[in-house]
Amino acid sequence: MQVIKFEFLKLLKKSRGWLGPILVFILIMIAYPLTVEVSDVELKQSFFSILWIAALLVIMLATEDIFLEDFNDGTLEQYAILQKNLSFIIGSKVFVYWLVIGVPISIIGTIFCVGTTSQTAFGYQILPVLLVSTYIFMNVFSFGNALSLTKGSVLGTLVTLPLLLPILIILGKVVVAINFDLNYSGFLLLLLGILSIIIMIIPMIISYIIRAHLE
Amino acid sequence: MNALVKAQNLSYKINDKKLFQGISFELLKGKALHIQGENGSGKTTLLRMVCGLTKPTKGDLITLTDKEVCFIGHKNAIKQYLNVEDNLALMNLNNHHDLQKYLSVFDLDKSLDINIANLSFGQQKKIALLRLFLNRSDLLILDEPCVGLDTNSQEILVDFLKKELANGKGIIYSSHIFLDFDSDSLGI
Repeated sequence: MQVIKFEFLKLLKKSRGWLGPILVFILIMIAYPLTVEVSDVELKQSFFSILWIAALLVIMLATEDIFLEDFNDGTLEQYAILQKNLSFIIGSKVFVYWLVIGVPISIIGTIFCVGTTSQTAFGYQILPVLLVSTYIFMNVFSFGNALSLTKGSVLGTLVTLPLLLPILIILGKVVVAINFDLNYSGFLLLLLGILSIIIMIIPMIISYIIRAHLE
Repeated sequence: MNALVKAQNLSYKINDKKLFQGISFELLKGKALHIQGENGSGKTTLLRMVCGLTKPTKGDLITLTDKEVCFIGHKNAIKQYLNVEDNLALMNLNNHHDLQKYLSVFDLDKSLDINIANLSFGQQKKIALLRLFLNRSDLLILDEPCVGLDTNSQEILVDFLKKELANGKGIIYSSHIFLDFDSDSLGI
């Protein structure tokens, strides 16, 4: 719990780190309907693609320097020496980032979803999907950033971007299921299954990558 | 067992360049080892090996302590955007019974609410050194601990290290500034 508390403290004091991505997300959500001349029906159809892409890009932006500062100032070095369980610290860090950035984005995305579709029921269905998918994005992009920790973040992120294409395809299917009033819970369970594997494996892989960078 | 570290025939290579080779030493409890060498000779790399951060290309290194190793390196591991108090909490030192004593010794007790970015380099180094002064380790690894410290603080550091040696702790350090306490030398 102490690790989570400290990561909260660090992230909340860096308002640029969490407020920036949330504001960018809001900006995209507001700007999109203002910049395209489409009917309400077309807007509702294309809204979800924008929602997923915006969430993806904003999480990519949010995780840009998730490990960089700790690496540069020697904090990760101390963690590697003192703490036996580096993967737990990394998992906690990603969790805090998701809690501070991913959860607000999911809630804001849901509000925009209800506003655009004028259906409150859509909101109830989209919120859990957004929560799970932003956590998956957060983990995968953290992995990418760890890969290119000493070489600039963009390369690692670009390498990991294709890994998220199956998630985007599933998210597309979720929207189709919701639109046609089909049972979408299968897709949600699939996303939860993917997430449960990812949160076990990715922090472990990242801890190995970071130890390799420290060496 | 009286030994804290045993190193046998250590070598380290970066790409094809040999940094050092055939380094062997043993550190006993209550003893200090001064790693000496020119810039770029591999002193920091050797210290990081003892901490377990870097693996030797060849050779064996065993650390025989159950407690965590205290390492003070070039990087201070403090957050510039947090104040001193928050940094102490991050270092898990905020509840240490000797904290107030060392804050007073280093004249930091009135700077607890000041952001690290507003402190001088020397003051930042003193905060990083609190990790050493409030350590819970048997083995202290110090890489140039005196950089940025004034003469008075260097004397406090030397006195502290003498006490730690008397308490049976082991110290491995590198320093271009002379530290006045008994230690063996290892040239690389």
